Amino acid sequence: MIELALELADVRKRFGSSEIIRGLNLQVRTGEIHAVIGPNGAGKSTLFNLVSGMFPADSGSILMNGQSIFGLPPHLIARQGLARSFQITNVFPRLSVFENIRIACMRRRGHYFSMLRLVGRLHNVNRETEEWVARVQLETVIHKPAGLLTYSEQRALEIAMTVASGADIILLDEPMAGMSREETAHAIALVRTIAQQRTVLIIEHDMDVVFSLADRISVLVYGEIIVSDVPEQVRSNARVQAAYLGSEVH
Amino acid sequence: MKARFVVVLLAALLLLVLPWLVSTGFQHALVHAIVFAVFAASFNLASGSGGMLSFGHAAFLALGAFATLHVMRAAESGAFAFPTVLLPLVGGVAGLLVGVVIGFFATLRSGVYFSMLTLAFAELFHQMAPNLAGLFGGETGISTMRMPSLGIPFSSDLQVYYLVLAWGVLCLGLLWLYMQTPFGRLTLGVRENEQRLKFLGFDIHATKVIIFSLSAAIAGVAGGLLALANESANYELFSITYSANVLLYTFIGGAGLFLGAPLGAAILTLAAFAARNETQLWLLYQGLLFVLLMMYAPSGVGGIIARNIELYREGRLRALIKPYLFALLPGLCLTGAVVFLCEALAVVLSREYAAKRLAAGDAPALAEFLGTRWDPSALGTWALPAGLLFVGLATLPLAARMIRSAAGPHD
Repeated sequence: MIELALELADVRKRFGSSEIIRGLNLQVRTGEIHAVIGPNGAGKSTLFNLVSGMFPADSGSILMNGQSIFGLPPHLIARQGLARSFQITNVFPRLSVFENIRIACMRRRGHYFSMLRLVGRLHNVNRETEEWVARVQLETVIHKPAGLLTYSEQRALEIAMTVASGADIILLDEPMAGMSREETAHAIALVRTIAQQRTVLIIEHDMDVVFSLADRISVLVYGEIIVSDVPEQVRSNARVQAAYLGSEVH
Repeated sequence: MKARFVVVLLAALLLLVLPWLVSTGFQHALVHAIVFAVFAASFNLASGSGGMLSFGHAAFLALGAFATLHVMRAAESGAFAFPTVLLPLVGGVAGLLVGVVIGFFATLRSGVYFSMLTLAFAELFHQMAPNLAGLFGGETGISTMRMPSLGIPFSSDLQVYYLVLAWGVLCLGLLWLYMQTPFGRLTLGVRENEQRLKFLGFDIHATKVIIFSLSAAIAGVAGGLLALANESANYELFSITYSANVLLYTFIGGAGLFLGAPLGAAILTLAAFAARNETQLWLLYQGLLFVLLMMYAPSGVGGIIARNIELYREGRLRALIKPYLFALLPGLCLTGAVVFLCEALAVVLSREYAAKRLAAGDAPALAEFLGTRWDPSALGTWALPAGLLFVGLATLPLAARMIRSAAGPHD
């Protein structure tokens, strides 16, 4: 039997009079890299917001590792092992790169309210923080305030924070947007490394990235997943070509 | 490291010796300076570090003071014994308990709404207090006497000074250590980006309630110290004046340095005391300073000091000595002109002066300010501020340019 990291069934979400997510079904297998593609306004970011608890879905069911996370607040979903990055960079701008990642590492080690030890003495946390800084190649800017980093450095920091918090299901919202070709290549390698022990659900616009990275691809159109399959099948699917990819796919 | 050690040693020596060098009135002012330094540090924990701008922090100062006074009264009447040296703890506990309750509700909202809620809670106390004679002594307030403790009578301001100093150092030390703990780092994270913390798995509401309550507890300790120093308090302690003052102290002192807020509070408290006989307009000058800093150095005096320490480390401070000395010229000229004009106007526009002019008839009525008599109808009187203003405004751009080019680009 295939283990599912995430299972969404008939999820609906309405904002005012417009229904953005209309009976969405999605299955993300444990350990895979699963890409969500779809035209602008299809509801990709809303899907992430529903899964991560930014706002509750109206109806349907959302299971994470077989357990319902429907209606839970974000911090409880995060503690169960799901972390997300944001489309708009979302870091601690006036704290250094090191401090940014260290807060994520503190969370992994369960330091929610510790006031009786000095943070400099948390050797595990500090070592892991340094490892993450190295892994996303930010050593040269380690003491710089995150707000002063270049855009792509901030994207890298965002990924590092997301994963360093200790989650085993990672949601990445357009992590490569605005990156140069080399930066994208490095980010792809990074996502592959991350995915070795984790499940990754990724929204991405760059089709080269999607087809080279994803184990399976879901196509989201007007609030519904119309296809969910391996890349070759998605590429040749007539409905996908008609609805979204059009002549771009060759 | 060595330089820091020397600075700390000198500061400690100064704090220990200072009260012996000044009048008893000034000793009392020194005690108040420490009390408000602790109060500002507590405010800065919530607002500067945690990003929760409280407009009602006076509530915790006042509650700490009243709780302490009640215990002092009970001790005085012999109901039970409580060591005088531990009295500020009573204030701290009172601040903490009320802080948890108010914090629980206020931190459900962020930004302006949070500020408004804290303001509303404080104003609630301010309105209720005069009617609750048993708790707050009505309009007159309550008063009591300090009891001897550890063989010390605590009858003089000097003895109180050292007790308050010890508590002040303890509070600031604990706050400094707090910032070095994981939770202290988390506090900064709350200020920087609540949403990110939430999605990293932190319970933001619980975190904020704890930060706010701790801040309230320290404010309560400051209140306890104030009760010890004054042996009395009335409901005016709840008023918006105290909440606004601590905000002013903190922003003038600056959040950039750990000691910015407490130093700002201490220095401004002492300055207000020193200026009380010299001018009626101290609050105006304090306000002008606040406006100028917010416009041109929003990180406050602490931020300016931090920037200069940075420049010192980069080895560029030496080149700045000359520009700084030169900047004294426009600085002093403009300050002089502003003070002259403010003092002159305050006197000339007063009712007393109008009466004097009527009495003098055609003869020039002399106005007394800045320690001498001036004739407001003579052009020569106004030549002084005009000259100062002219020199100041003429040299100001040059001074700014010199400092900027010597300091180099600032990121």
